[in-house]
Amino acid sequence: MKSKQLIVLSVLLMLALMASACSPTAQPTQPPAEVNAPAATEIVQPEPEQPASAEKVVIRFWSHQNDAFNAGYQALADAYSAENPTVEIQFETFDYDTYIQTLQTALPAGTEADILQMFGSWVCSYAEGGSLAEAPTSLISLEDARSALFAAPVGGYICNDKLYGIPQEFNIEYGAVLVNPRLAEEAGIALDGWESWDEFITDSKKLVQMEDTVMTRAGFNFTGSDGIAAMFHSLILQNGGQYLVDGTYKVNTPEGVKSLELMKRLVDEGLVDPLLFNDEQNWVGDSFFEETSAIGLVGPWVVPEFGVDYPEIAETAIYMRLPTVGETPKFAAASGWGLTVSKNSKVQQAAWDFIRYVTLDEKNAVQFNLASGTLPALVENASGANGEQLVSEFSYFKPWLEILQYGEYEGQFPDRDFVWYEVTYPRVLNFLQGNATLEETLKTVESEVQGSF
Amino acid sequence: MTATRSPQNPPRLLLRGRNSAEQRFVLIAVAPLVLYLAFWTLLPVVWGFLLAFFDYSARRTGGIFLGLGGSNPFVGLEHFRAMLNFSPDAPLQVRQFQHGVKITLIFAFLVVPLNLAITLPLAVMIESVHKRLRSLFRTIFFLPVLAPSVGVAIMWGYVFHPQRGLLNGILRLITGEMHGTNWIGDPNLVLGGVPVALLAVVTAYLWQDLGYNMVIFIAALQGIPQTIKDAARIDGANWWQMFSRIILPLLSPTILLAAILTMISAFQVFDIIQVMTDGGPNGQTEVLLLSIYNYAFRYQQMGWAASVSLVLFLIVFSISLVQTRLLRSEWEY
Repeated sequence: MKSKQLIVLSVLLMLALMASACSPTAQPTQPPAEVNAPAATEIVQPEPEQPASAEKVVIRFWSHQNDAFNAGYQALADAYSAENPTVEIQFETFDYDTYIQTLQTALPAGTEADILQMFGSWVCSYAEGGSLAEAPTSLISLEDARSALFAAPVGGYICNDKLYGIPQEFNIEYGAVLVNPRLAEEAGIALDGWESWDEFITDSKKLVQMEDTVMTRAGFNFTGSDGIAAMFHSLILQNGGQYLVDGTYKVNTPEGVKSLELMKRLVDEGLVDPLLFNDEQNWVGDSFFEETSAIGLVGPWVVPEFGVDYPEIAETAIYMRLPTVGETPKFAAASGWGLTVSKNSKVQQAAWDFIRYVTLDEKNAVQFNLASGTLPALVENASGANGEQLVSEFSYFKPWLEILQYGEYEGQFPDRDFVWYEVTYPRVLNFLQGNATLEETLKTVESEVQGSF
Repeated sequence: MTATRSPQNPPRLLLRGRNSAEQRFVLIAVAPLVLYLAFWTLLPVVWGFLLAFFDYSARRTGGIFLGLGGSNPFVGLEHFRAMLNFSPDAPLQVRQFQHGVKITLIFAFLVVPLNLAITLPLAVMIESVHKRLRSLFRTIFFLPVLAPSVGVAIMWGYVFHPQRGLLNGILRLITGEMHGTNWIGDPNLVLGGVPVALLAVVTAYLWQDLGYNMVIFIAALQGIPQTIKDAARIDGANWWQMFSRIILPLLSPTILLAAILTMISAFQVFDIIQVMTDGGPNGQTEVLLLSIYNYAFRYQQMGWAASVSLVLFLIVFSISLVQTRLLRSEWEY
């Protein structure tokens, strides 16, 4: 072989290796046997839509790696394919961080799958970037979507009055708190609900543990990043205010003042030491399950997540509703996981049909919530037989299901994570630690968030 | 025109003086590696350089050519101009950049002298012990280099934990009282104008990094001819004179190398800080690389992150250049 040919061959070999290395490292998904996956027989079967002679349709489906979620998807896909033999759903999953980066590189490159699992607060940035297909009105109209789905989860999928996907779960951080009943019992607290913040503070104080001058157990740990941001914005809503109106972020208001005053009162009453309990040290999830926090402000997703390592605490932990400031327990929530379709997909119609089957059919949707341990996005599934089924499986869902109707989507920010983790959390924590005044904090938060628009 | 084997034709220099079979072998052997480096190193560098001049976000589709243009517009030097906005009302990302430069410089200028001040005497001491013990000490001090940074960060996180940490535990043993000092989480703790959280991170970083320079210095010490040391002894030089007048000057090229390598490495610190403090408390440990990562991969402002990367490169390059000039010395002995 001549040298030129050798060089050309080696170059081709290298290019082939590089090209293969550049393709996404997705994993074909198999549902784990131990996960509570819905049986195919439990799922409502749709009417076959494709004639038997139709060509095989392959729908590629990307999601992040989560055994419970993936088991739910696989069971529904199996049932759907059984009724639609011409449709094959091919799952590819990525670990969470890789998934975010893969979406960011694959969407501009046009190499993404047909169906993309998305978190609601990401959707509009991709939709406005031209990467996602608008949901056809034959699937569901915007008006119907708004009435069939809770406002908070569906809010993330509506961009400029257009629907770009359907949520499957309700992601929630504020409205109820995780309580350790054993510690409450030891402190002589009757867990029969709190009518007011005064009652809540009195009970939480009894749960605080100090050693010399050091807080070794927080009564109420709310000073994590998600807790602070969700509480601050939810309290503004409960106080009758709005922090985001027509693309203008405004928190330097009487409602903003009242919200921060309440949060500071919780610190001043000694329920938590924000210097010792925050994201960097004693994060609320870790701290609750290590029993260094008796009450924690964190969403229900934390129970199955920590249940693996702390089964005894997870089994007994309960959620209790927080007192409200206004008349209704309004709260701001960050949408939830759901399904979207790529604008580049060649099988959009089939992809949307599968999404309709998975997300809008009440029984199928609740099976997914049961399999994944998530709160429902469909209004119908929060009550009635489906709601009861969820509560019987996850007893800690009960207080959450009662308040889902009061949730509002936290709003369209240019970058929600930037607002939460670079502005709201550090600035409010700094205020709670006593390093800034209330006025300075509200002014800074308002100007820095507005500056990101 | 035919190619000639002249010094003015650099690609041919590699092959000069070789016969055609050797030339073919060299080309075949080198081509894959060159391609590999070009693809994985050169292209990303060029791409990063290009992005610095665009308002690029991977979430936006952008223009036809690599997503550049369109909704990812060309902004020229706008990012760099913004970095020079020192007004208190400057956008948060600009203030974070300026703060990041300051923190990175403090970190690097703490790490480099401390590292050299510890590793050089340590290497001399190890070299002065009995031969059998040398390898034991070398191994002990080098082991942290082999430990993964994330593990090191988690371990030091436990050392500095306010309630269950080793440091506060020792203080408790001494004073008999519970200490709840949050060494890496309290923004009010400052020592000599430097946040204690940053000093804690520097401590963890030094602990992990010491072994590397120590091995370099040991190798350099072993390279100093014994005859020079013997001559100094005969002339009546004591231990300190031997160290300061003989060993130190002869080690200056190695010190320069170690200083530059440590400086570059310190400017690129990321994992240990991300795990220990994630830039907190209140941004006191937010070095430039952490800021670059956050803006590139968390907030999707890839153009801004690329421009900050370019500035970081220029800072490292300039400081390395200055170090080389300042510490230039005779390299032969």
